[in-house]
Amino acid sequence: MPRTKTIIPEETEAAENPYLPKSAKVVFFKRETKDNFLIRVDYKAKHDPGQFVQLLIPGIGEAPISIASYSEEFMDLNIREVGNVTNHLAKLKKGDTVYIRGPYGKGYPMEKLHGKNLIIIGGGSGVAPLKGILSYVDKNKNNFGEVSVYFGFRSPEDMLFKEETKLWKNKYQVNISVDKNPLKDRIHCDVCFITNLVEKAKLNPENKVAFICGPPIMMKLTIDILKAKGFTEDQIYVSTERLMHCAMGICGHCMIHGKYTCKDGPVFRYDEISMDKND
Amino acid sequence: MNDFYTDLMRYNELIAPVKTDESRFEVIKDVSKIMIEMHSYFPAKKFFFKKHQTIISMEKGSINVPATNPEKKQRVIVGMKRCDLNSIKRQDMMFMKETLDPYYKEERERTILIGYHCKGPADDYCFCSSMELGDFYDLMLYDKDDIYMVEIGSEKGRNFVERYRKYFWDTELFLRPEDRRIETRLTLDRKDISKLYFNPDWKKGVDICFSCAACVTLCPSCYCFDLYEECDSTLHKCERKRNWASCQLPCFTKVAGGHVFRESREDRFKHRIYHQLQYFKERHGINLCTGCGRCIRGCPTRINFVKILNEMKEQQ
Repeated sequence: MPRTKTIIPEETEAAENPYLPKSAKVVFFKRETKDNFLIRVDYKAKHDPGQFVQLLIPGIGEAPISIASYSEEFMDLNIREVGNVTNHLAKLKKGDTVYIRGPYGKGYPMEKLHGKNLIIIGGGSGVAPLKGILSYVDKNKNNFGEVSVYFGFRSPEDMLFKEETKLWKNKYQVNISVDKNPLKDRIHCDVCFITNLVEKAKLNPENKVAFICGPPIMMKLTIDILKAKGFTEDQIYVSTERLMHCAMGICGHCMIHGKYTCKDGPVFRYDEISMDKND
Repeated sequence: MNDFYTDLMRYNELIAPVKTDESRFEVIKDVSKIMIEMHSYFPAKKFFFKKHQTIISMEKGSINVPATNPEKKQRVIVGMKRCDLNSIKRQDMMFMKETLDPYYKEERERTILIGYHCKGPADDYCFCSSMELGDFYDLMLYDKDDIYMVEIGSEKGRNFVERYRKYFWDTELFLRPEDRRIETRLTLDRKDISKLYFNPDWKKGVDICFSCAACVTLCPSCYCFDLYEECDSTLHKCERKRNWASCQLPCFTKVAGGHVFRESREDRFKHRIYHQLQYFKERHGINLCTGCGRCIRGCPTRINFVKILNEMKEQQ
């Protein structure tokens, strides 16, 4: 008696077995920087900006990857090579198969924020989920007021989405900074931390919401700066990063003070998780 | 009783507490070994939420799920205590309500839970009387020395009684409220711990904690797990597995790139207590902890978190 029964992934409904991934093809592979690349997969699923998928490479493992696009036809995934799975993902070519389950989590509540002015602040590979917001705004331009973008990178070589940035510059107020410029490249951006740019900017908290995603220290500093400028905690949305295994709110790895990052997050309104005992 | 057990074993898999090197729940082969009244050192959660569970297996591009075997025998677990039974209720909440885990559901559906009401606390570490435990069982046995009074807790339990009718008879006796009560010597007096996060007295526990994760392994309600891949040497076949995990180990919150979110032992220690006594309650309305005391009993340094909490002074 065989111990297993074979099933074709596409035929399985997610409701039957929530652990089962679906297969998807890589339609597009683009290297962004030395350690960052973008893949487009033909995985069709309705999603909000800020949500994530679990990407599985059989035999290697699974990794949570945030969706850097807003479309029902495909998904752009911007991936930084930092771990086992992502190092293997970097070897993908056009036409390869990956296994995906999701999307999971709560994204940015864009529909609730219609009519607001948006401030989008990202650092390093944290700009990936924020690109999803910009794609959303592109499609729903009339629903939002002013959009200002603050993106910071380590150096000119680490800059992501260079082509997209050119397009964004025509539509939004875009500010880019690099922490350092060791090769003295000719660049059209400031050489400082992105937090310095935010601090210098004249930001009036009225009718504004801020989205922040980046390294923990950058998020913390930015939140402090915004609060000093008069922003309240419910005007700030942060995107958190944790280790995730199940992505369904049971395995416990991503818990932050009783909240599951995978289910209640990864996007939180800051007053939901701040409290006095924040880590 | 032994006739009843033997009869049960004929068509069912019978599981009950036995004394081996330690007391634990095991599949019974010899009914004389059953010690129904014993508070077992290891919980019975391994029969539902297994230590190792193959989630999917993959072979050259095809994905398989382990077959659900309909021929699997019915299973009867005898001698689970009120704390054990209530922790199954909490696991049901996670694996059957929060998400429907097919592997857990299968094990759960083929099992009949027959509880045994403790006559008294097993030792000084039991503190179930302060945990507001509910009734959650198919059948519950109350030990009346020469007879057992049986309480039916579910439809499944009623059908079971019908099937083994010759061992049961109707009675006019009623259970008194004191029959259902267990007075434990240790009680958790501090119900609300939300304001104690920065209390310096946590040090009493943290300083002698080894982060060995025995508490989590022995906990009947802890449900956190890892998912990971296991390949064979040809790299053509691999399995995706689910294992028990422990929030007491630093690797539990390690992300790609090496950052550990709960790096200090204090954060991890507090996380466990807060998950047991506050976070779960915020989401589901009941405490995750059922007061079985296993985490204290099994701790190499016997960290009594109940005492630590009771003695904490609220700070202004």
